[in-house]
Amino acid sequence: MPETKCPVTDTIGKLSTVIDSGGLTDPRSRRRAEDILALLNDVAWGRADSEHLPAIESLTRKLEEQGKTESSQNAGKLVRTALAQHREIFISHIDTHNCSSGDCLRLAPAPCQMTCPAGLDIPTYVTLIGMGRDAEAIDVIRRDCPFPWVCGLVCTRPCEFMCVRARIDTPICIKSLKGFAAERAMSEGSYKNPPKEPDKNRKVCVIGAGPGGMSAAYYLSLKGYGVRVIEQQPVAGGMLLLGIPRYRLPREVIDREVVMLKNLGVEFQFNTAFGTDITLQQLKTEGFEAYFVAIGAHQSFKLGIPGESDFPQVKQAIDFLRDVALGDRQVPGKHAVVIGGGNVAIDAARTCLRLGCESVTLAYRRARSEMPADHEEVEQAEEEGIRFEFLNIPSEIIGSGGRLEGLRCLKAKLVSKKGQDRKYPVPIEGSEYTIGADVIICAIGQQVDTACMESVKGLEWTRRQTINVQMATMESSLEGIFAAGDAVTGPATVIEAIGGGKRAAESIDRWLSGIPQPSMPPVPTRRRRVEYLEVPAITKMTLKRPEMPLLNIDRRRTTFQQVELGHTENMVREEARRCLRCDICLRCGKCVEVCRDRMKVDALQMGYFDFDHPVATDFRVTEDRCILCGACATNCPTGAMRMEDRGGERVLSLCGTLLNRKKLLYCQSCGAVLGPERYLDFVHKRTHAVARVADDRRLCEVCARKSTAKFSAAGAPVKRG
Amino acid sequence: MSKYYIYQDAKRCIGCFSCESHCKTKNNLPIGPRLSQIIPVGPKKLNNLPRMSYVFMPCFHCQEPWCVAACPTGAMQKRPKDGIVFVDDTLCVGCKACITACPWGTPQWNPETGKAVKCDYCMDRVDQGLEPACVTKCITKCLHFGDPAKKSQSKRDRHAKKVADFE
Repeated sequence: MPETKCPVTDTIGKLSTVIDSGGLTDPRSRRRAEDILALLNDVAWGRADSEHLPAIESLTRKLEEQGKTESSQNAGKLVRTALAQHREIFISHIDTHNCSSGDCLRLAPAPCQMTCPAGLDIPTYVTLIGMGRDAEAIDVIRRDCPFPWVCGLVCTRPCEFMCVRARIDTPICIKSLKGFAAERAMSEGSYKNPPKEPDKNRKVCVIGAGPGGMSAAYYLSLKGYGVRVIEQQPVAGGMLLLGIPRYRLPREVIDREVVMLKNLGVEFQFNTAFGTDITLQQLKTEGFEAYFVAIGAHQSFKLGIPGESDFPQVKQAIDFLRDVALGDRQVPGKHAVVIGGGNVAIDAARTCLRLGCESVTLAYRRARSEMPADHEEVEQAEEEGIRFEFLNIPSEIIGSGGRLEGLRCLKAKLVSKKGQDRKYPVPIEGSEYTIGADVIICAIGQQVDTACMESVKGLEWTRRQTINVQMATMESSLEGIFAAGDAVTGPATVIEAIGGGKRAAESIDRWLSGIPQPSMPPVPTRRRRVEYLEVPAITKMTLKRPEMPLLNIDRRRTTFQQVELGHTENMVREEARRCLRCDICLRCGKCVEVCRDRMKVDALQMGYFDFDHPVATDFRVTEDRCILCGACATNCPTGAMRMEDRGGERVLSLCGTLLNRKKLLYCQSCGAVLGPERYLDFVHKRTHAVARVADDRRLCEVCARKSTAKFSAAGAPVKRG
Repeated sequence: MSKYYIYQDAKRCIGCFSCESHCKTKNNLPIGPRLSQIIPVGPKKLNNLPRMSYVFMPCFHCQEPWCVAACPTGAMQKRPKDGIVFVDDTLCVGCKACITACPWGTPQWNPETGKAVKCDYCMDRVDQGLEPACVTKCITKCLHFGDPAKKSQSKRDRHAKKVADFE
């Protein structure tokens, strides 16, 4: 959670003030305080390791106890209380190299990473993919998410909604980049499991082989625990396989990534329903010490209208999709109506079409703009010929002689409800009409099937029928039982389940090792600080987010072949170069301020820095106006803006974007670098009114001083020896 | 020129660099910038004997300083009351225009702060009625700080004395 003020930066500020004020008169105390300050700066710069905190604490103790003056004792006390109150945040800085408040400038996290429910280090892997280092990128991703390929195909990509690049044009195609890298690494055989920690000889049981359960299994297994995953179905994947149709996520992709878990030694026990086939008691006697419940949300909500349970042709979307996924691919009817507006509804509708339904209608009670389904999915469904009916409220399912005939609906209008963002549909009196159908599929939401957990006495549930957990640690009300995924959040996304599973694995490890649990949710970890990809300003501005090539429409209507064909290698490498590297540049605007307000050069046009008042961004204009004085780079707190002399040129770049490069001129006496002509002209123009020189040689400052000294030494009368 | 002047009696200077060391200490400077500098010149043969000169070069605090004209942010200023040229730290953004502009190579780059620094005759000391650090700590007392008119006077006096001594 974003802190209003970072205690690390705060302590550094206070301690520096004490030191600078000169109050620490006792030299030993002063030195100790300075040492503490240096160590604290390491923490704030992401240079600290596990020995920093103990060192700070021991110095603080000495400062407080052995300080000769009151001010040194107070300085010690200041650091001690800050550490006592915010120890977790200090540790988090050291471990994650991210400061969620953004106060520690070098540790300001990228918006994409902060938004990702699993906290993937997106700028790092995007850059690695841009460099063509796919396997390394996969290693980075898998430290936070064991299923890069799955996520690369089906993630709802909250990161892309936060992408800063969208303030310039369109967000980086993060999802597809990840998918490409995973596919490439898998096909090359460089998609490998990281080394496992030594066996701990302790066993953890995971209930449910969905994305949440398998993520926990992966991280627990890496930590050296013996993990068994219990699954009701005969296959691993959970909703990945049972809920997401094959044309979006081929099951081979799931299989290949699940095999990676099996290679780690994770044991799968299929066809075993928890609560009926196996009980908690049985598992306990088998020696399991902790349990992770990730049973998902597989029970559909009922419409609650007459006729709903009278016809076998009224199906629940989740059941329907599951049957199709498990091999029952019969056409459900000629004219299908799918009720709902979420991703599941779209999936069911498109599946119906592929199974051979003549017409598929999607009935949604709100308007198109209110649909919770992904925009792309809706578009693709429409292209395939799914008909959409908006603003209708189902009132009755009608039929005769056991044959389903249609769905009676009332027209609806949207009204705003006080205190709610979303508009609410209200039926219009007397507007009844019928949508003809011989199969109706309800996709109005799912909930957790609580029945299997009934035997687990004392497990607390929320009002929404989800397992009640401590969100920082995923601990349930029962000792040793953890939960995550849809079972905790209600129907949500793959990446949320993965994040939950990862968090749970961490706290299961802590619980089993007797380490106290954190009180705040973990801050995403900065995995690396990779070099920038160098991109000319023109390229940076003109590269466009690539369109996703799709399967031809006839195949999309008739087969379950993958619809999104994936980007080509060239598209992917180029797309990665559009990334603005927000893990380094925190968009503080210092460079712009210095250039525009102080230097009055105004060569930097970075509209995207400012969220609220966007002006156009153009990296290209810099070249026209910039004098390469380097003040922006000097004042950049993170090293994002860089000025270097190389290859006879002075080069200015922002996170690798080449803003300006100009030929260098050299000292005519010693050959030292003077700067580019435009810079020297800038200075000359300002001084020409006062500067009148006879000798117009361009000299560096050292030679200038020397030549003056020689002149005065030679000119001075010297007494004869 | 400023109201003040540092006169170096080159005859007495042994090139010990005390002035430079104390300048750096007083101004808390890292490796790199040297505000006042002793520039060794020579050796040069004079009457068949090798001779070294040590030229003390602080800032000249020019009448019309190029550095002040060059500075785009107004950080480099000439103090009206006594003509001392100095850098206002808070305004300097580190564009190095002053360093480039100065024909004497006076302004220096402080890599730690990312700003320009230069000799300001230790103006905080001057304001307290003290002398600049270099002058205070000069081992051979060859550096003298004060009114340029008086300095030239002392030189003249000495020369007169020499002439009178019929050396």
